[in-house]
Amino acid sequence: MADDVGRIRIRVPSSIKAGDVVRVRALVIHPMERIERDAQGKIVQKAYRYINQVTVTYLGRTILTLDTTQSVSENPSFTFAFRATDPGPLTITFLDTTGGKYAGLADIKLA
Amino acid sequence: MARRQARGRALQGLDTTDFGRFRTYAYGDARPEVPVASVTVPDGPPGDAAKGRALFVSRARGPCTGCHLVPGADVWPAGNVGPDLSTVGDRGLTDGYLYQLVFDPRPIFPKTVMPPWGATGVLTPGEVRDVVAYLQTLKGPRPAETDPERDPATRRRPVGFGDNLDATNNPGVLLADQAEAEWSTKGPADRACADCHVGPPELAMKGVAARYPRHVASQGRVMSVEDWLTVHGPETTGAAYLAESEANLRMTVLIKMASNGLPVAIDTTSPEGRAALARGRASFERRVGQRNHACADCHTPDGGANHFLGGRMLADVREGLTRHFPTWRTSQSELWDLRKRFQWCMTPLGANMLAADAVEYAELELYLTSFDVGKPMSVPGIRH
Amino acid sequence: MTDGITRRMVLRGAGAAGVVGALATRAPTSAWAQAGAQAPALGGQESVQSALKRLFGARPLKDGAGVIKLEAPPIAENGALVQVSVEAASPMTAANHVKTIYLVADKNRIPVVTRATLTPEMGQAFVGETIRLGETTDVRAIVEQSDGTLLQVRREVKVTVGGCGG
Repeated sequence: MADDVGRIRIRVPSSIKAGDVVRVRALVIHPMERIERDAQGKIVQKAYRYINQVTVTYLGRTILTLDTTQSVSENPSFTFAFRATDPGPLTITFLDTTGGKYAGLADIKLA
Repeated sequence: MARRQARGRALQGLDTTDFGRFRTYAYGDARPEVPVASVTVPDGPPGDAAKGRALFVSRARGPCTGCHLVPGADVWPAGNVGPDLSTVGDRGLTDGYLYQLVFDPRPIFPKTVMPPWGATGVLTPGEVRDVVAYLQTLKGPRPAETDPERDPATRRRPVGFGDNLDATNNPGVLLADQAEAEWSTKGPADRACADCHVGPPELAMKGVAARYPRHVASQGRVMSVEDWLTVHGPETTGAAYLAESEANLRMTVLIKMASNGLPVAIDTTSPEGRAALARGRASFERRVGQRNHACADCHTPDGGANHFLGGRMLADVREGLTRHFPTWRTSQSELWDLRKRFQWCMTPLGANMLAADAVEYAELELYLTSFDVGKPMSVPGIRH
Repeated sequence: MTDGITRRMVLRGAGAAGVVGALATRAPTSAWAQAGAQAPALGGQESVQSALKRLFGARPLKDGAGVIKLEAPPIAENGALVQVSVEAASPMTAANHVKTIYLVADKNRIPVVTRATLTPEMGQAFVGETIRLGETTDVRAIVEQSDGTLLQVRREVKVTVGGCGG
C-alpha cells in the first residue's frame, strides 16, 4: 500500500459538448492518518499525514479549492462540477501535511 | 447513541484468542460439536436484573442485542435474527425454561441458530441467571418507539458503497491495475506471464477465473485462483505469489477481472467436483467454535439470512456470495480475498482459523460458488 | 448493480463515462512544505460550537432548505467511509454565485470536514466527497453566497458499528 500513496484516478464523461456542465470524480490513494491515542487514551503527538488541500485547475485557472481535515476518509474521492467551455487540461492536485504533492490530469475533449 | 469507533489500521477487531478447545473446519478435526446440556436453575442467590442487562448488551460477551431487540435508547444497532424480546417478561415463561434457553437452547429448539451460551462457558451459571432475571423484567406495554431505525424490523436497509467497478469509487480497482505491469515483467526465472499467456491479461485470461475453484489434477485437490498462483508462479516465472500476499491478491484480482461480466461456470459434475462439493457443503453446515455456529446459521433463509445481525444485513447464500471476491473492505481499507474473509469469520464463530490455502477453505469456496453459477463475475467488489 | 459491466468498458471508457489514469508527481516541493507548516489549519479538535464561532463569528446562519440539497445516507454502514454531497441552487455568475461550501460533522472530534472555495467557472455549486463519521451525528452543509449570506442545512446520519466482528 505504501507504494501506492498518491495514485490517482479521474473520471470524466466520455462525451462532452461545449458549454456542458459536467461532473468529475477523482479518487486518490492516501492514508489520511487519523488521530491516534495511546493506551491511556492520550493523543499521540506526531505529524499526522493527511491531505489538507485539493486544487482543481481547468485551462490553467483554479476553479475549485478544497481545504480538508482528518475528517475526510482514507483513500478519499471528490466529486465536483465544471463548465466545459474549451478542450484542454483539467488537473487535480492533492497536497498533504508532509509535503506530498500528487497531481492527476484529465485531458478534456469536446465532441 | 453509537459508541465511538475505535478502529485503527487494518485488522483491528481480529481476535487472537486461542479457541483451541473448540471444533474447527479442519477435516482432521474429529471432535463433536459442543455437547448438549440439559440444565436446571442452580441453587444460589436470585439473579441480578441490572447485571443481566449489562451482559445482554455487552459487546464483549455476545452481544445478545446482535440478534434480539430489547428496550433502551442505548440499544444500537440491534439485530433481528432472533425474536424481539421487548415484552418477553409478559409471556409467563418460567425461570427454569428461560435458564435452559439461554444456557443451551438445543433441548428446546434442536435446530436453533442460537449459541449455547452456558454450555460453551461464555456465560457462567450465575450470569445466565442474571440474564434470565433481566428478561423477566421486560414487561409491556411496549414503549413507543421514538426512532424507527432502532428497531431492525423498521430500519432501512443499508445502501452499500456504490459502483464496485468504478476506479474512482473502489480503490481496489485502481490498485489491481498495478498488477497489469507485472503481467509482462520477467520473474526470477526470466519468464513473464505474457510469454505463455499471449496478449494482455484481459484477453489471455478471459473466462479462466470463472472456472475456479476447480480440481487441479496435478495437485490432487481443489484450488482457488489464489491457491493455484502459489504453485504456478514458482514453477513458471519464479515469482512466489505467497498466499494472502499483496502480489497474490493483486494478480488474482487482475485475472478475475478478465472474467468480469462472464457467468460463473465451475465444475460441479465431475466425480472430483461432486465429491469436493459434498465436502464443502458439509463444512457449510458444520457447527464449529465457541459459538457452535455453522455458516448455514447466518446465511440460509431458514437461519439469519436477510436479517440484521447488529447493524449488518446477513447475506443469503442463494444469491451467490463469492463472485465479487477479492473485494475491497471499506472497514479495513484493504482488498481481501475470500480466504481472508473466511478467517475473519472465525472471530464471531470463536474458532481457530485455518491456513489461507487450506483445502477446507477451497472446498467451502467451491460449495459457496455453486450458488454463483450462471451469474456474472464482478471483481473487485466493495463491501463494508 | 454493475454486474454486466466489464473491466474493459470501465477502464477504456467505452461505457457511459471515461476514466483517465494519472500518475502521481511525487516530488515534495519545499515551498509547499514550508507553507503547509505555517498554513492555518481549517479545523482541529474542538467543539462544533467553537468551530462555528471561529469560522462565522456572530453572523447568522439562515435556513438553507430549498436552496441546498445535502445528500448523505440516513444510515452509514461504516463511519470510516460516508459518501456525502452538497448542491446549492445558484446561477453561478460573477455577480451571484456560491463562494464557499463548508461541510461539518457535529460530533466528530474534528468537526470541520472541508471548506470548498468555488468559482463561477464551475457552472454548478456542487461538491461531493467521502468523509469519516466517528458516531451518529448531524452533518451540516453551510453555504456562503457571494453577497455574504450564510445558509445552512443539516441532516442526521446514523453510524452503524460492528455487528459481531464481521
